[in-house]
Amino acid sequence: MQFVLLQALFLPLLLSPVAYYLGRKSGPTVATWFTFGLLAYCTVLVITPALSGSYEEHYKWTQLFGEFGLLLDGLASPFAIIIYVISTVLVLFSKPYMVSRITTMFEERISEKHLVGGSTEVIESSSLKEHLNHQIGAYYALFLVMAMGMLGTILATNLIEFYVFFELMLIPAFFMLAIWGYESRRRVALLFLFWTHVGAVILLLGFLSIGLSVGSFNYADIKAHGIPPHVLGLAAVAIIVGLAVKMAAFVVHMWLPHVYRASPTPLNALSSGAMLGVGAYGFFRLIIMLMPGQYEHLALALNIWGLITMIYGGVMALVQDDIRKLFAYSSISQMGYIMFGIGTVSVLGLSGSEMMFVSHSLGKVILFMMVGAIILQVKTRSLTKMGGLAGKMPITAVCAMIGALTLMGVPPTSGFMAEWTMFYGALQTAIQQGSMIRMATFGLGLVATVITMAYILWMIKRVFFGKLPENLENTKEANWYVTGPMMVLAGFSVVIGIYPDIFFNQIIPFMKGLVGV
Amino acid sequence: MAILPFDLGLGLGALRAWGIWILPFVAALIIPAVAKASKRATGWVAVAFALASAVSALTLLPAALGNHEIHNQISWISSIGIKAGVLADPLAVIMSNVVAWISFLIFVYSTGYMKGDKDLTRFFFWMAFFLGSMQLIVLSDNFLQLFFGWEGVGLASYALVGFWYKDKKKDHVGVEGRHVLGLMDYYSPTHSGMKAFIMTKVGDVMMLAGMFLIFAFAGTFGFRELTANTSWATAMAAQHLLIPAAVLLFGGAIGKSAQFPLNEWLLEAMTGPTAVSALIHAATMVKAGVFLVARLAPLFFALAAIGINMDQFFEIIAWVGAITALLLATQGMVHPEIKKVLAYSTGSQIGYMMMAIGVAGLSKQFVDGYTAGFFHLISHAMFKASLFMAAGSILHIVGSRFMTDMGGLRKYMKKTYAFMWAAGLGLMGAPFITTGFWSKDAIFGAIYESGNTWALPLFAIAVITAVITAFYTTRMIGLVFFGNKSKHVEELEKEGHHIHEASASMWIPYGILAVLTIAVGVMGLAFEHQIHDLFVNYLGTTFGIKSDVGTVATESQPILGGFLQGVNPIALTASLSAFAIGFVLGYIFYIGRFADPVKFVNSNIFFYAIHKFFLNRWYLNALIYWGFVVAPLYVARGLYKYFENFVLEGFNVIPEKTMAGGARIMQATQTGVSQSYLYIFGVGILIVVFLLLI
Repeated sequence: MQFVLLQALFLPLLLSPVAYYLGRKSGPTVATWFTFGLLAYCTVLVITPALSGSYEEHYKWTQLFGEFGLLLDGLASPFAIIIYVISTVLVLFSKPYMVSRITTMFEERISEKHLVGGSTEVIESSSLKEHLNHQIGAYYALFLVMAMGMLGTILATNLIEFYVFFELMLIPAFFMLAIWGYESRRRVALLFLFWTHVGAVILLLGFLSIGLSVGSFNYADIKAHGIPPHVLGLAAVAIIVGLAVKMAAFVVHMWLPHVYRASPTPLNALSSGAMLGVGAYGFFRLIIMLMPGQYEHLALALNIWGLITMIYGGVMALVQDDIRKLFAYSSISQMGYIMFGIGTVSVLGLSGSEMMFVSHSLGKVILFMMVGAIILQVKTRSLTKMGGLAGKMPITAVCAMIGALTLMGVPPTSGFMAEWTMFYGALQTAIQQGSMIRMATFGLGLVATVITMAYILWMIKRVFFGKLPENLENTKEANWYVTGPMMVLAGFSVVIGIYPDIFFNQIIPFMKGLVGV
Repeated sequence: MAILPFDLGLGLGALRAWGIWILPFVAALIIPAVAKASKRATGWVAVAFALASAVSALTLLPAALGNHEIHNQISWISSIGIKAGVLADPLAVIMSNVVAWISFLIFVYSTGYMKGDKDLTRFFFWMAFFLGSMQLIVLSDNFLQLFFGWEGVGLASYALVGFWYKDKKKDHVGVEGRHVLGLMDYYSPTHSGMKAFIMTKVGDVMMLAGMFLIFAFAGTFGFRELTANTSWATAMAAQHLLIPAAVLLFGGAIGKSAQFPLNEWLLEAMTGPTAVSALIHAATMVKAGVFLVARLAPLFFALAAIGINMDQFFEIIAWVGAITALLLATQGMVHPEIKKVLAYSTGSQIGYMMMAIGVAGLSKQFVDGYTAGFFHLISHAMFKASLFMAAGSILHIVGSRFMTDMGGLRKYMKKTYAFMWAAGLGLMGAPFITTGFWSKDAIFGAIYESGNTWALPLFAIAVITAVITAFYTTRMIGLVFFGNKSKHVEELEKEGHHIHEASASMWIPYGILAVLTIAVGVMGLAFEHQIHDLFVNYLGTTFGIKSDVGTVATESQPILGGFLQGVNPIALTASLSAFAIGFVLGYIFYIGRFADPVKFVNSNIFFYAIHKFFLNRWYLNALIYWGFVVAPLYVARGLYKYFENFVLEGFNVIPEKTMAGGARIMQATQTGVSQSYLYIFGVGILIVVFLLLI
């Protein structure tokens, strides 16, 4: 087994022009299945070494930055596996959604031209096809690069490597948003780039201060030498702020609702299910592992910050009418859960927090697919205009319900396994430290789960139950490209919920080593 | 741990114990597949698997009655060392038989009740899931696994209460247009499902916290492990965390069993099909809370042996039960919807069970109260399932949920009439011939004899509640079956719908249970002694709780010969008079119709006010809505509008505007006119020269 991870990482990048070419030449179906096949192969490449425990590859890089390593340990493998699995299934979901989106945009443009009346050119049906093929090819090329960027961040063993991939995933996201987004997409795309880039630059500041003072950017070296105390505080704050922007923690979350409102649904799903989680991963790898001392100082603050984020996001989600904004705030809230778990300083708390990422990805991607399916079928995003769809879209309704249960943390979905371990960890630390503040955050955290339940059940009620509006009488079930992936993820969530050892067997021993129990 | 002789080698006993809860889940899984072939077959699949599960439970009964227990574990979350397992001890096996057989009858009833519904697949899927989850609660050997079942019944109730998800008018509960404190007292099925799920979740969250507290000290979720080594309790008691943990666990039971203050979901849960109501009220869901308390009470009571006082915990249980019993019984007197009356009565009767177990923990003779509570659970399961199914038949045929739309039905539905009387007498506690009488009497006796400081007030509440219970049951039967036909029924007949008896698949199940209520009732005292003896053994061997068996017989004087041996005379008198007063009052107003209840209530401002207070649910529901739904949403909207979209949006707008403004200024300088560039260039040189000169 050599070059396995290297392949998994760079094949999507190298073959992205092929995806574009295939799309342009043979249309959406071929491009979809090519991209799907490629990512599925890469997913297998990631899963295989993960089965046999820790695995790493090292390659020579520049003198200045250190070596180019790829590491798949108990921390990285759940993230890596979920990110690629999510990316793979979203390829299928993208097809009907993007075809519809590109067609609509094309038609809008034509009708605009007609309205203006300036152009007399005859638009033939072939030109739509050409346009579609061209755009879908570009879409899949960007998609592959984004997937690769996310995986690279997870596998990196070096600060500069981390940073490069961290920035790399923003570029395709920016273009996808700017090209296929909804109202005021260009403005929002800039907003997105601005925020995440500022976050990344702050992160880089932290990285440089560490790397230059230690003399190496490799994680291993930094860990071995230790970070000199005079840069420690600055570096920790810079890294935490940088990652918090990525995770959209309270106060620095302002980019997220706008971006989610405007971006095409597959990008929402990819971003919520995978990209936000990269921020969470950064906390584990960069804060807890590289600066354990600082972590112990700041853990309580992170715990509280997470708590505020989860409650605030949940409360905001309660009052949304745009279904996508509802899920935007829900994502913020769920990232709050993860941050809450990161602040627990206990084996099960940290494990639960990582499991929360897994579970949130599964649940939220299912729900975003539901949103996509509804937008495709119903052509509205306003919750007040929906209702009674359960009878019309039964498969979507059932899968969405499983997704909802996953987010609410109801057994037998993976959400419960994540939540109970995480909250238990919080309580354990509270008891050990005899801290009333931690006891209170634990209690309020449980209250937040009730808020989560309220906004999700209310959303489900407004979408699927009640009276069917007359104009939706002819709604049909979404097609297999949408329902198939949803069912796979829903099944996966239940399997993990009943048998969590699939991931716990890797996560828990790792966290034990990390916290030093 | 005794192993039965025929289990040696095969482990058959354990397999059957697993089967009890797995079989219904299997049914749930295959029902969607069966539906492809035939929709009607889904019902029979559910019934068949329910029967298999019940038979499997029944085969465990002989061993359980001999105080044998089956405890079987398999590895589950190995990374934390948590095991899954079944624990079929006498408590679990008896409970699981009650659940299984009553559910089986309800399933049979459902095949008739739901005939012609479009969504049979979904219905039977959730019914089977409901049963499986309940059996999982009963047979789990640890908290974590129990919690799976716990949330499973919550989920199933959510799905089934909101089963008619299209929210048609006829499926609502409450009176349209009625307002309490400015809020509508009229709820749609999906709203009610959500309410049930969220309100019980509040309890579940408390239970989780309690579970975690114990796990943090004990390192195990297992019930038997917790009993075997009680050092966790000592450690927790030292940090004053034991009572809070126990009370938090009880919080879970408060939510599931609809006890005060989380009782309000139970009434709206009446939006579900009646078969579901029967299942929720008799066999699953609300009984889960009582079962949990029955599981935990001996565990905590046994801690007295190592010097830990749990009185506060048991006092809370007893008082919550007492308050709920009275609170809900009073409301049962005034509500016009038949299912709601039955729902109120369920909550109230569950309150009795809680009271009994709570009092058990406060008295020296733990087993008396414990037996009484559990006996009442069994007898309530029988008569309440019967009443609900009978009420369902009536609703089905009359097509209205209001008792004012019924009346005079006794001539047309003779079987239902008879069975409803039999089961209704059970609920009222009609002396000597019904299970309800004996179990309620046992509770009275246990409270009276507990010798606790709270015994008298609790006893008074229990007796008053019994009077009210007898009254509202008589009222219900009177309104439905006696008097003249209502306008609604007359209209139905004009349209050509004749009121007729329910079909056999419907009346047989509730007939069986009604007959059982009387049959078991006739030998009620013997039945009670049997359970009592079993529990004396069980509590002694498993928890080391010693019971003074001799005293029961010697202390109380044998009256009426040997027939009433062991019955406390004061409790007996109280329960006899409670029945008599309630029944006579009910008879005067609703059966004999010697006085008009409406005129009576309006005759006097005091009665009017109290009637309104009860009808408005003691304002509890409205206050909960104001405090936890309306006000928070109002705050959230304000926060969204003024904080999120104004203050925090500044983070987006300010940099944007600054940059745009900066760009505009820069743009303005790029005039493209060479004179102005030269002019500025010149000024710049002047400034530099000036600076150099200084």
